[in-house]
Amino acid sequence: MPYLECRNLRRVFHHFTLDISFSMEKGELLCILGPSGSGKSTLLSAIAGIDSSVSGQFLLDGKDITSMPVQKRRIGMVFQDFSLFPSMNVEKNIQYGMRDVPSEEREIITERLLEMVSLPGYGKRRVNELSGGEAQRIALARAVAAKPSILLLDEPMSALDAPLRKRLRSTIRQIHDQTGITMLYVTHDREEAFAIADRIMIMRSGKMEAIGTPQELYHNPPSMFVAGFTGDGSVIPMSYISDKVTESIGFIRPEDIIINKTNPEDDDIVLHDATVTGYEYTGGGYEITLRFRDLQLKAFSTERPELVSVDAFVSRKRIIEFNS
Amino acid sequence: MKRHDGYYRRMALPALIITTVVFIMPVGAVLLRAFSSGSGLLETFTDSYTWRLLAFTVWESFLSALLSVLLAIPFAVFFSRYTFFGRKAILTMSDAAFALPAILAVLGFVIFYGNNGMVNNALRTVSGGRWSLKVLYSFKAIILAHVYLNFPVAFSLITSSLSSMPDAEEKASRLLGASEIKTFLRITVPKIRGTILATFTLIFLFCFPSFLIVMSLGGNPRFFTMEAEIYKRTYTDVNPSGSASLALFSFLVMALLLVLTGYGRQEKRLSRSRHTLIKATGGKLAKAVVLCIIIFLFMAPPMLSILYRAFFTKDGVFTLKAWTDIAARARSGTGTSLNAIVNSIVIASGSAMIAVSMASAIAIGSVRTGSRFATLLTSLPMAMGSVSMGLGFSFIAARMPFRNTVTSYVIVLAAHTVVIMPFAVRTILPGARRIPERLSLAAKTLGGDSREAYRLIERPMLKPYRRRAFAFAFALSLGEVNATLALSEGRVTTIPILIYKMINQYNYQGASALAVILLIIAITMFAIGETGGDEYAVS
Repeated sequence: MPYLECRNLRRVFHHFTLDISFSMEKGELLCILGPSGSGKSTLLSAIAGIDSSVSGQFLLDGKDITSMPVQKRRIGMVFQDFSLFPSMNVEKNIQYGMRDVPSEEREIITERLLEMVSLPGYGKRRVNELSGGEAQRIALARAVAAKPSILLLDEPMSALDAPLRKRLRSTIRQIHDQTGITMLYVTHDREEAFAIADRIMIMRSGKMEAIGTPQELYHNPPSMFVAGFTGDGSVIPMSYISDKVTESIGFIRPEDIIINKTNPEDDDIVLHDATVTGYEYTGGGYEITLRFRDLQLKAFSTERPELVSVDAFVSRKRIIEFNS
Repeated sequence: MKRHDGYYRRMALPALIITTVVFIMPVGAVLLRAFSSGSGLLETFTDSYTWRLLAFTVWESFLSALLSVLLAIPFAVFFSRYTFFGRKAILTMSDAAFALPAILAVLGFVIFYGNNGMVNNALRTVSGGRWSLKVLYSFKAIILAHVYLNFPVAFSLITSSLSSMPDAEEKASRLLGASEIKTFLRITVPKIRGTILATFTLIFLFCFPSFLIVMSLGGNPRFFTMEAEIYKRTYTDVNPSGSASLALFSFLVMALLLVLTGYGRQEKRLSRSRHTLIKATGGKLAKAVVLCIIIFLFMAPPMLSILYRAFFTKDGVFTLKAWTDIAARARSGTGTSLNAIVNSIVIASGSAMIAVSMASAIAIGSVRTGSRFATLLTSLPMAMGSVSMGLGFSFIAARMPFRNTVTSYVIVLAAHTVVIMPFAVRTILPGARRIPERLSLAAKTLGGDSREAYRLIERPMLKPYRRRAFAFAFALSLGEVNATLALSEGRVTTIPILIYKMINQYNYQGASALAVILLIIAITMFAIGETGGDEYAVS
């Protein structure tokens, strides 16, 4: 039996309709990934009970929580902008959700949580004195302290800079692994989702487009939208590389297009006389733009390419084929 | 999306009901009296004198507001652009002017600009009696006093608005080669047009029901506003029906003005982009000094002259007589000065406390429920001038089965609460708007309910605004003359009432000593309101 089950959730907006059903397992970290306006945050608000205008049914651990008020659901939430209570210091913020816990125990738990988020000794600080990264870690500790049945994270790192996001996402994964809390994490950042998720659900215009592990979605995307949303790639009509007459379209990841391969394999397709029209150094290698017939393809190489005509090789089994 | 569970509506409702009832009572009493006068009501509404009164009231309010705003703009532009020593002191002084009781302006003007005042004495001494300045008891005295009270309001509001606006467009304009004047006219003016209009409206609405200044400094029925005429009809002509009809007319006009000007409308959120102040040096610093001196010379002399007259006779002889009279509980008019001081503090504390408690509930309730009705309702007492309000309450008092000192206190307290309520709500409202709703939602996801979220999170965040509102409401109540004068029947004497009576008895020294006490209390309350800052600002 799934731990959280959302059945037939529906809400009509002017520009799109949220219409979704999905479930997740206990202890899982599920990322909801999608472009802005795809309904990710609305879905989270509905699960938390903040948005009561979404119709449908919510089952948590087999119990129907649909008509339960927010404060009774025991669903924790971490907000984009931290939402720490300015009227309380760090310690009081963390202890806010600790109900029926003796005071001496509260202090021990608080200290333990502060250590878990790598901020020991921060208890007496005012929340207005914290940096963005510190504030978000305190928000995480506060949410965890309330021992929620499930923790919802609404783009928790969108207000932070890139290096901090990278550090904090591993903190979130560590908290998940240490506490075993079921987490539902909303983001529009593919890299972030890939880094921490057990599974990813991709949303588009209020609907679920795909759900699966990061590897499944990257290598076997069920649709062109998912293929494009989970990573870079080139679109090529299959008729260009196949002897058969076909209307289908192929999608190839940049790392699967290899230029000037010294030992081609049997199932490799060779794109003769492709021209290197440009390249960008990305740190780990070069992202290359190739011109092949009337197409523009993206390849990847660890070596700096020459701006000349090349032969590009694509393994047949790495081509993801979609019906047009 | 339904985000609240009705708690905020339930919380605001009792405060709204009490405010409405306490406001409706005097309005209802005025209405009843006006309609019971039979054809009197129609006569008042069609009388050319009523329309002449309206035209004059509109004209004096328009002129006062226009001059206050026009004079304030150049000062505000400079103060929002440059930083220099003394800038903050001048801005704090103009903020404090919000709490300056009108009676102090009246007294200061009489002592400083009066026919036998300090300016004229100095002129006569210099010219051997040939020169004198005729300011008081004229239309220009009314306008000058209104500008004196409202210039700091305009200066403070426009400076604050300009200072919180990002100046990136101005910088871009200058980089593109536009002159300072062109940048001001093409970029800055369109940006502050809304603020200028809102400030003009606010001052117009302040001046429209002006009574004390008109009565004391106009000195001629030709310069009567509607409120002054209502007072005259009630207490000089003893024509309560006529005054009720006029009070109703005035209320309808003011209510219409409030609706037309959109007073109470939610102000736009200002951008958080940076606004940089430039350190004034060289010519700009010299300009800053000149501007500060002009402000000081305009604002300080009337107040300093009060301070002087509290310790010196008209002939310049030092004396503490006024102070010993206060200490000796000397009777002055209808009560002792000491009684008046105690009364003022008790009434101001009580009414400010009640107003702030109710205003907090109404402000947070209207923000959370997204209702503009509550703020509009609490703005309505502004449509009822305080003399009219006092008149309404006096009609109610007349129908009470028993009347004694206690009932007089209760009625004065109720009248003060209604008069200061719109200002208390408007002071707390920006604070309520600044508290993000998601804090209460965050509390709920942690198991707390709305009541707990309000008590532990939102209420402490409102604290600086409540403190400011209390100080402001206290100062307004402390300086209130009109309603108190209209309904206390001599049973309740406050400091401004006593000052008003002493001015009429030409006892300027006694009035000055009491005015100094009033000023000290008002400044202390202002300082209390300004301490602490916004300690719970959301980053």
